[in-house]
Amino acid sequence: MSKFIIQVNSPAYGSASSYSAYRFAEAALKNGHLIDKVFFYQDGVLNTNHLNSPASDEFDLGRAWLSLSEHYKVPLVNCVSAALRRGVLSQTDAKENQLPHWNMEPPFIMGGLGELVIGIESADRLVSF
Amino acid sequence: MILHHIQCSPTQSSALKTCLRYIAPSDSILLSGNAVNCLLTRVWQQQLQPYRLMLLHDDVVARGLQDRLSAYKQIGYSDFVEQTLTHKKVISW
Amino acid sequence: MKKLCIVFRQGPHGTAHGREALDLALLSASFEQEVSLVFTDEGLLNLLNNQSPETIGAKDYIATFGALPLYDVDTILVCQDSMTELSLAEVDIKLEVEVCSPQRIASHLSHVDEVLVF
Repeated sequence: MSKFIIQVNSPAYGSASSYSAYRFAEAALKNGHLIDKVFFYQDGVLNTNHLNSPASDEFDLGRAWLSLSEHYKVPLVNCVSAALRRGVLSQTDAKENQLPHWNMEPPFIMGGLGELVIGIESADRLVSF
Repeated sequence: MILHHIQCSPTQSSALKTCLRYIAPSDSILLSGNAVNCLLTRVWQQQLQPYRLMLLHDDVVARGLQDRLSAYKQIGYSDFVEQTLTHKKVISW
Repeated sequence: MKKLCIVFRQGPHGTAHGREALDLALLSASFEQEVSLVFTDEGLLNLLNNQSPETIGAKDYIATFGALPLYDVDTILVCQDSMTELSLAEVDIKLEVEVCSPQRIASHLSHVDEVLVF
């Protein structure tokens, strides 16, 4: 059994990389490995926008991340500065920025780049998408 | 022994070209996403010929390229996971 | 402590890759990781003198490259082949770097623990 950290750098829609990251994470867990966390950086933070609304007959990647986190207790962590710049905010961020709306909900959480670095340090493998 | 992971076609990004500049003979290449398309061209078939090459099966099937690319080793996600562990690290270009 | 290598592959200002790579480099160094940088392809253009990113509404993160020595980021490799391709010379570069062959970069990539490409 090995421990992975998965870094997602591409948006949920418009690029196939995030879907690939999800499939990789799912396969790693099914193979009995651990995932320290999935870390969303660069455009990857757009995966965590709660307002993403794919049509009902399309694969819902946001929902897929949620169910992965639910089944396997995998932390889903956003880089907060990358997220804020791209208009992805938690309730706390909205309050701090005096904004009336927010679009990121648990189990997605905000964290710093430090969480990526600590995750890389403790994991056996980093895989980026 | 590095697993070089390429997700974009060389017409979209210089990832594959750059990877080949720094690859070692014992390394492997995994093509996924649009990167699998490059093997339709003679130029990339020749350039990749010396290396241990793998394609992500679902990406080949999704694009209807299974017959055209049947000569190449194709792996699923479960194998992809294990390949990242048998190699010393993964570089996603 | 791990050896992390951050590769700058894309030019500055057109996308956020360079800026977000530098953010990660400095942060990793402040978390006591052994950080090294590699500049290849248009990534070299991050290191050019006389940039004015504000002209196009971009943040001047280029100035922050100057802080790398303070963070003990000493290994900065610049690909000689990319330099030739872009008709650049060492005098065009604002940092103290090691201009080196692709073979040297390949051997560096094989020695570090993880490589993050931007």
